[in-house]
Amino acid sequence: MDLVLLLQRIFDALFNSAIYSSLALALVIIFRSTGLLNFAQGEMATFTAYIAFVLLSGPQPRLTGGGLAGLVPGVPFPIPLAIIGAVVCGMVGGAVTERALIRPLERAPDLALVNITIGVLLATNSLMGQWWGTGPRVFPAVFPSGAGQNFTILGARLRYSTIGVWAVLLAVLVLLILLLRQTRTGLAFRAVSISHANAELVGVRVGTTLMYGWALASGFGALAACLSANSVLLEPNMMLRVLVYAFAAATLGGLDSPKGALIGGLIIGLSQTLIPAYVPFIGFELSVLPALLAMVAILLVRPAGLYGTKRIERV
Amino acid sequence: MVDDVFDEVGLKVENLHASYGAVEVLRGLDFEVPAKNVSVILGANGAGKTTTLRAICNMCNTSGTVTLGDRDISRTGTAEIVRQGMVHVPQGRGTFPELSTMDNLMVGAYTRKDNEIKDDVDRWFEIFPVLGERSSQMAGSLSGGEQQMLAVARALMARPRLLLLDEPSLGLAPLIIEDLFDRFITLNKETGLTMLIVEQNANLALDMADYAYVIESGEIALHGTSDQLKNDPAVQEAYLGA
Repeated sequence: MDLVLLLQRIFDALFNSAIYSSLALALVIIFRSTGLLNFAQGEMATFTAYIAFVLLSGPQPRLTGGGLAGLVPGVPFPIPLAIIGAVVCGMVGGAVTERALIRPLERAPDLALVNITIGVLLATNSLMGQWWGTGPRVFPAVFPSGAGQNFTILGARLRYSTIGVWAVLLAVLVLLILLLRQTRTGLAFRAVSISHANAELVGVRVGTTLMYGWALASGFGALAACLSANSVLLEPNMMLRVLVYAFAAATLGGLDSPKGALIGGLIIGLSQTLIPAYVPFIGFELSVLPALLAMVAILLVRPAGLYGTKRIERV
Repeated sequence: MVDDVFDEVGLKVENLHASYGAVEVLRGLDFEVPAKNVSVILGANGAGKTTTLRAICNMCNTSGTVTLGDRDISRTGTAEIVRQGMVHVPQGRGTFPELSTMDNLMVGAYTRKDNEIKDDVDRWFEIFPVLGERSSQMAGSLSGGEQQMLAVARALMARPRLLLLDEPSLGLAPLIIEDLFDRFITLNKETGLTMLIVEQNANLALDMADYAYVIESGEIALHGTSDQLKNDPAVQEAYLGA
């Protein structure tokens, strides 16, 4: 076996892995606190990538976003600022979604809420098509990713952009852990994740805390979308495929475990690239199959996922 | 309805109804919890004791008036009620099994913004040394007695004016129960903390309480000072096993 080629494939897979992990983290943050899977996570993220794109465009907007046209700033934002702007918009959007669409239905069955998130998925998707068209757009590269912009390690090329996305992902993860472990709001969030009723009994405003959770998750999603928009081209369905892999990653890692989301994203990303490369009868078109099989196999042995909490109820 | 021997009313409940779906569990309760006293609610299984505490904290569908001090809290949300000084230790203890003992205490002080939180933790570790020894251990790994101590300490971290305890003796060994109730009495005597305790163990409850109510089928059947109830033949027969 060609070891350099293997290493090259692993390096190539790492970029997608980071994106899957980020979006999986977003899913996990909401699932942990509400027990709800947000199917709109990917579309909400794509929407924020469009916002970043609008911010980047400056005075001659390459896209006039219907309702947002008036908000296009006079000067083009530099990329980091545009992404921060998108993340902030994403967080506000997440918070508003929770407050306006989820909280009024807090007593509704979970399935109804899942349907709401699917509704948000469809609505956001159509809105993007309406405002910005469905054609793909070239989103500028966040990290240098041209030819030759890479390190060479043992003969294999590790792109700067791969290192960049991992650096951002890990930095944000450290911030998230600090937030959860060291702050009052983080403690409240952990308490709410364990029991809404008991959190109320210590005076935590559960609704507000969940709103912060949605904001945080949508911020993660925005980051994932902005970082991947260059490699997959910006279009309304950009995150749909990513969302499927992120779901797989989150399920694999354990739906309530941030660590699991990270590891799950890695496993899905690597198996998606490596298995079709070494198992001849699985072509790249079927690359999702091995990931699915790995998921089924792990869930058979560990139903809560790799790092998920086993919920044991005393009856 | 309480005799005028108490200076101050801690909690006043008027015409309290509560229901789960179509089933009415409380059918118009009236009672008062005098400030700085220990009151108990006695009653058989299913009489509505737990629901009474839940209804006071607005954790279920209720109607009626609940007044804490001089404030009407009948329409106040559960989390807000905590901020107004009434803290509830529910059945099943209400601790967070996947948080450490220390984090459970810290989250108990969530509503506070003063800088004496750390001092309070030290204080409860002094009073419940076993919690100090297990401060970094997950609450779920503590024994039943330790968890009950943690539940009480967690509630006290909020510095409540009024503490509601739902069957603190449930599932504990008799020696531990005695120890726990001794601590409740000390707490009440030393700090003047008002308590309302729901208890099935009538002997124990009447020994420590100043005032007692008996609930039957969602209504107050009897009430009086602990001594009055201890000597009441009906209570003796139904609850004290005499």
